[in-house]
This record gives sequence, C-alpha cells and structure tokens, in this order.
Amino acid sequence: MEKAKISPRQLFVLMVLFQLGSSIIIPVGLTAKQDAWLAILGGMAGGLLLFLLYYKVGSYYPGLVPTEYMPKIWGPVLGKIFAFLYVLYLFYLAARVLRDFGEMLVIFAYPETPLFIINLLWMVLVVYTVRKGIEALARTGEILFTVVAILAVTSFILLVFNGSIDTRNLQPVFEEKPITLLKAMGESVTFPFGEILVFTMIYPYLTQLKKAKRVGLYAVLISGLILSVTMAINLSVLGFSLLSRSQFPLLSTIQTIQLAEFLERLDVFFMIGVIIGGFFKITIFVYVAIMGAASLFKVKESSHLVFPLGLITLFLSIGIAGNFPEHIREGLDVVPLYLHLPFQVIFPLLLLVGAILRNKKKQKKQLATK
Amino acid sequence: MSRKRTFLFGILASLSVFTSGCWSERQLTDIAMVAAVAIDRNEEGQYEASYQFFNPGNIAGGLQGGGGGQSPPVAVYTATGDTIMEVHGNMSRKISREPYYSHTNLVVISEELAKKEGIAPVLEAFDRGSQFRVTTSVVIAHGVKAKDLVTTLAALDKVPSQKIMQTLESTEKALGENIDIDLEEVINALVSPGREPMISGFTVKGDPKAGTKQESLQATEMPSPIVADGNAVFKNGKLVGWIEGTDARSVLWVMDRLQSTTITTAWAGQKDALSYRVVRQKTNVSADMKNGKPHISVHIHMEGDIGEVTVPINLKDPKTLEKIEKDIGKQVKKEIETSIRHTKKRKADIFGFGEVFHRAEPKEWKKVEKKWEDEIFPHLAVDVSVETFIRRTGLRNNSYLSEMKNGKE
Repeated sequence: MEKAKISPRQLFVLMVLFQLGSSIIIPVGLTAKQDAWLAILGGMAGGLLLFLLYYKVGSYYPGLVPTEYMPKIWGPVLGKIFAFLYVLYLFYLAARVLRDFGEMLVIFAYPETPLFIINLLWMVLVVYTVRKGIEALARTGEILFTVVAILAVTSFILLVFNGSIDTRNLQPVFEEKPITLLKAMGESVTFPFGEILVFTMIYPYLTQLKKAKRVGLYAVLISGLILSVTMAINLSVLGFSLLSRSQFPLLSTIQTIQLAEFLERLDVFFMIGVIIGGFFKITIFVYVAIMGAASLFKVKESSHLVFPLGLITLFLSIGIAGNFPEHIREGLDVVPLYLHLPFQVIFPLLLLVGAILRNKKKQKKQLATK
Repeated sequence: MSRKRTFLFGILASLSVFTSGCWSERQLTDIAMVAAVAIDRNEEGQYEASYQFFNPGNIAGGLQGGGGGQSPPVAVYTATGDTIMEVHGNMSRKISREPYYSHTNLVVISEELAKKEGIAPVLEAFDRGSQFRVTTSVVIAHGVKAKDLVTTLAALDKVPSQKIMQTLESTEKALGENIDIDLEEVINALVSPGREPMISGFTVKGDPKAGTKQESLQATEMPSPIVADGNAVFKNGKLVGWIEGTDARSVLWVMDRLQSTTITTAWAGQKDALSYRVVRQKTNVSADMKNGKPHISVHIHMEGDIGEVTVPINLKDPKTLEKIEKDIGKQVKKEIETSIRHTKKRKADIFGFGEVFHRAEPKEWKKVEKKWEDEIFPHLAVDVSVETFIRRTGLRNNSYLSEMKNGKE
C-alpha cells in the first residue's frame, strides 16, 4: 500500500473514464440489434446493483482491499488461493484491455507497425504512471476528463448540424424477443459495468470513505447514460447493419461528419478520446493488479513490482490471442461467462454471505464477553 | 552523474530514436494522392482500374496563369488485377510513387461491370481499407468506359473528379434528378432486404479521346463534356436499368432527399404554362397492414414560389393560387405514381418501402422479408398524397404578359 489520498471527485472522474474507456470503442449489447442502447440502460441497472454489492462487502472491512479481506472471510488457505486467482484475473483483464487498444491503433492508424511496439509504448507510459502512484493518476484524470468532455460535446454538436443523425434507424423498437433483449442486458452488465469491481482496490485511499457509495452510483449512472446515448447516436448514424460490421463504430460515426466543406475527417477526435480513455483503463487495471499482488505477497514497496509485472502484462497481451477476431470473440463469448460471472457476481455474493456470518459470530462473542 | 541518472538518460536517448514517429513514415514526395478510382472489366474478366492522381505542381501552378504548354492537373494510370488489392499491387509497376487513398472522393464503376458482376464485390476493399472514407461518392459510367470519366478534363474545375462530385451535389440540390450517394449508403442499401440502391450515372458526350488533352481546355466549349446522365437501378447488387427525369425525381422525393426542384404545369389548357419552384419539402412515408396486406402511404408537404408564367394568369387572386396548388399537387402525385409503377416492373425497391414497413410492422416483416422484392413489392398498394403551398410569386404579382395587347386573355 502506498500512502495516498484521493478525493471523491477524483474517484468519480476515474470511474467514469474507466467505464467508458474501452466500451465506447467496442460496441456492447449488439445482440439486441437496434435496441442495443436500451440494453445498455438495462445493463446499467445491473451495474448499479453490482456496485452496491461490492460496496456492501467492502464496508465490513473498511480500509482493506479484497485480497486482504478474502483470507479473513474464507480462512487463510482458501482465501489466499482465491485472492491469487483474483489477482490473475486482474492481470488478464489488464492484458486484454492493452490488446484492445494496441489492436485499435494498428488497425486504424499504424498498419505497418508491429503490435508489440505499440503495446510497449503503452506500457512505458502506464508503468511510469503506476510508479507515480494513484494520486498522480487521479489528478491527470481531472484534467483529461475536461478534454474528453469538450471533444464529446463538440462531436455531438457537429453530428447534429451535419444531419447525419437519423433516428428512424432506431426503429422498430423492441423488434427482437424480450428474452434477447434481456440476454443483451445481461451481457452488458459484466462488461463494462461489472468492471467497476476493480475500484474496491482503491477505496482505502479515499479521503471520505462514506461518500464512495454515492460517488460510485453516480459514476455508474453517468457512464451508463453516456454509453447508451453514444450507442443510440452510432445506431442512428450508421444503422444497425453497418454498425455491426464495424470494428470501431464510433470511428465510422465521426468519419461521417462533413460540415461546410472543411470540417471533415475528424478522426483525430476519436483518436484523442480513445487514447485518453485507454490510458486510464489500462493504467487502473495494471495499478490494481499490482496492488493486489503486493498485498497478497506482502511486498512492502509495491513499486518494486511495477517493472516486472508490467513486463508480464505486456507479453500476456501479445500472447492471449493469435489475431484480432479471436481476441474479440474471446472477449464477448468466453470471458463474460467463465471469468466475469464468477469474479464479478458469484464470488462477491459468497464474500457477502461470509462477511455477514463472520460478523454475526463476532457480535455474539462481543456479547458473550460483556 | 549517478548510475540512476545515466540509466535514465540512456532510456530517454533511446526513446527519442525509436519513438519519434519514423516507423513506416511516408514523405509527401513518396506518395501519389488518388483523386478518383474508375473500375472497368477487361476482356479476360479482370478488373481494369484507372486511378486519377493529383498532379500537385500543376494544380497550384495554374493559378499563376500558366501557358498552353502546361501538363494537365491530373495524371491517369491504369492497372489490371483479379481483385482490387491486386490492382493496387500491379499499379506499382507503372507509377513511381505509392498510391495514397485518403483523399479519394469518387469511385466510378462501369455499366458493364455493374451489369455482369454487380457492384458488391468491387466495393468490399474500399469499405474495409482504413485509408478509404465511407463518404466517398459512387457513380456509374453510363454508356462509356469508367476510365473515360476520369481521363476527361473539365473546364471550370481543375480536378476532373472534383467536377463530377460538385456537379452531382449541385444537380441534386437544384434539379433533384440525380442522387448523390456515398459508399456507406450504397452498401447499406445493398445489405438491407427492404431497399435497393440507386446510383447516379455520368457520361462523356462526344469523343472521349478529345477530352483527355490539355488543348481541349483552350476552347470555351469543351469538345467532350462530362454530364450527369440518369440513375442506375440495382437489384441484388446488379444493374438492371436506368431511370431519369421525373421518374428519378420522384424517387428522391419519396426518399425525402429532394431539396429543391422546378415543376412545370399546364394552365387553362395551355401546356407548360407556369413554373413552380419548390423551396422546401418534407416527405413522410408510413406503413401499415390493410386487409392483411402491406400498405404504404406517402405524404408530401411542399412549399414554394411561382418562378415563371408564360401565359397571363391573375396571380393576385388567392383562389387562382389555390387552383394552381391543386394542379401541381395532382401532377406531382401522378409523377410519383408513375415512377412507382415503373419501378415495380423492375422488382427493385429503390424507394426503401421495405425498410419503412420493417420499422412499422416488425412482426409482419419477418414473414415477408424473403419475398418482399419479388412478390410483395410489385403488387404493393401505395397511397400518395401531396400538399402544395404557394407562398410567394417573386418580385411581381401579375406578369407583364397580362398587359400586352396580344395577351391571350
């Protein structure tokens, strides 16, 4: 654990940037076709519940991170095994996100540069930031959040004036069976909303822990709304068929802007936004993974772990998939079911049950001694 | 310097070498910017693509009043290949620079290719490549080789592809008989089961060879001008026919793409007696089930001014105007109905009625989706209603024609 403090506002900014980071470039909830934006709203509701769950579990052990309270709840052996798996999960996700953003840059902007070089450059930046600590990251977040907000608002205004938004593309609403919509909602609960799980590793740094609940709920709500609106805009500009064929729908949407003969080819808007979002997503994942490893193995100076574990993340990101379609398929089919579901839903639920039982025992003991 | 500092210095120094953006760098002198791509089919069944490259020096130099000995503002190279990517490769044997597609804003496809093979396989590479833009316009070469459209020079515009683009844009705006459709819209229409694409045609009048020389620009009237010529109608990605004139305008009308146009109508038994200029219009297309069959309603609301009269008409009288409004409405309704009838024969739903029906009746759509074009669309019931408003009559009320002694009143 480093000695650092972040304010509720900084937490909010980090959470929003983190949630939007990769979900804004990789479309979510497409099983629901043109109702994807509704599916995202449903997913957001699920995300709020998950957040409350994580908060509840954490509130039994204030000042501790999951890798620390897992052994307290499940006993030292079992708890440590699960804490270890949890750290592995975080590293895997960090590598996945790194791969996402590396691939995005190769496909879109640097077709001849090897993926490894791009990921290496990402990692140099991430490792540097993680060494500087969470405070530095949080302050960077406050500045860059404004930049992203300005870009988003400008793009939106330009799209409106460009006349590319055709809401007819959102119709017919509820075309698919309700079960399909529910399925799409379920998919978007774990990615991106369930990933807010990683912030349980950051709560101990909060200056006002009590505010974390409200801030977290707001963050999930706001990012869910932004995501849903973005999806609705993408859908109404591109139509479902083109959107589902696009690797990065937001890029295609922004490319349709052709205003007044000179405001066109604004791909750079997309690039800046994505680089900022990606930076926070990767950095936060790597940061919490390293903090988890440090607390699990009782490494006093967590910064000693940054270089070696950063290097592992880098190689992991190259090794996890042979090509981009494979990577995306894993991300949409395998990861939510076999990784997100247990780590984001089942384990926290079990932890909650365990925590409640342990606390009852404790209270009984306290009563008995009295 | 301490060890740590030396290390840091080493890292920074090496970073500045490896990360300063020299990977796959391209100098301006190594690339040739493609202005337009024209695709034909040669006798062996291969693609024959002609690239129109900007010749930057001559575009800028022309402004300083260059003489007749100047070379043209563009250069055209042609290469063949079985796929578009192969063409790209083979192109390198002929041109000293690497083709660069980020500024390509026109794709021309020959009529023959569109008829025999369809446009779908041709466009895939453009949709996929990251250099291409989805906003690239697509046109069909009508009656000439696609190559002729990119080799012919234009008088007012330095770059011929620019001329085609702007002609398309301005004629869609002013006349509404040609459609300015881009790559993304074409592909969306190709994919959608409830819509077929309609793409503008362009042709070269006169001898296409004459227009390729710089000398042709010396004349006030180009020997072989490029003109917009009809719209190609597609079915299953293949060209099945052309529509032009009011038939094409009606399609744009129903698609709610028409910006303005001129309608000429008869008055008191006199043909072509007055011209009405549409200033703004709004079309609503809705769909429902009537007697168990799909039914489409098209409602057009238009506003405009009287632009010209060739016979004396009392334009001061609101009753007269009302009558004119009704006449125009009837005429437009007839035009649109005729256009729909013609299109039904081709079984190609260029109006996108299928999409409208899909949006309105998703459940019924599932049942008819597969047979929409061939069985439902040709017998589709379509109601057209037109609401016309004449708002103004220009700077004059009654025409001077009314005052002339030989006026026909």
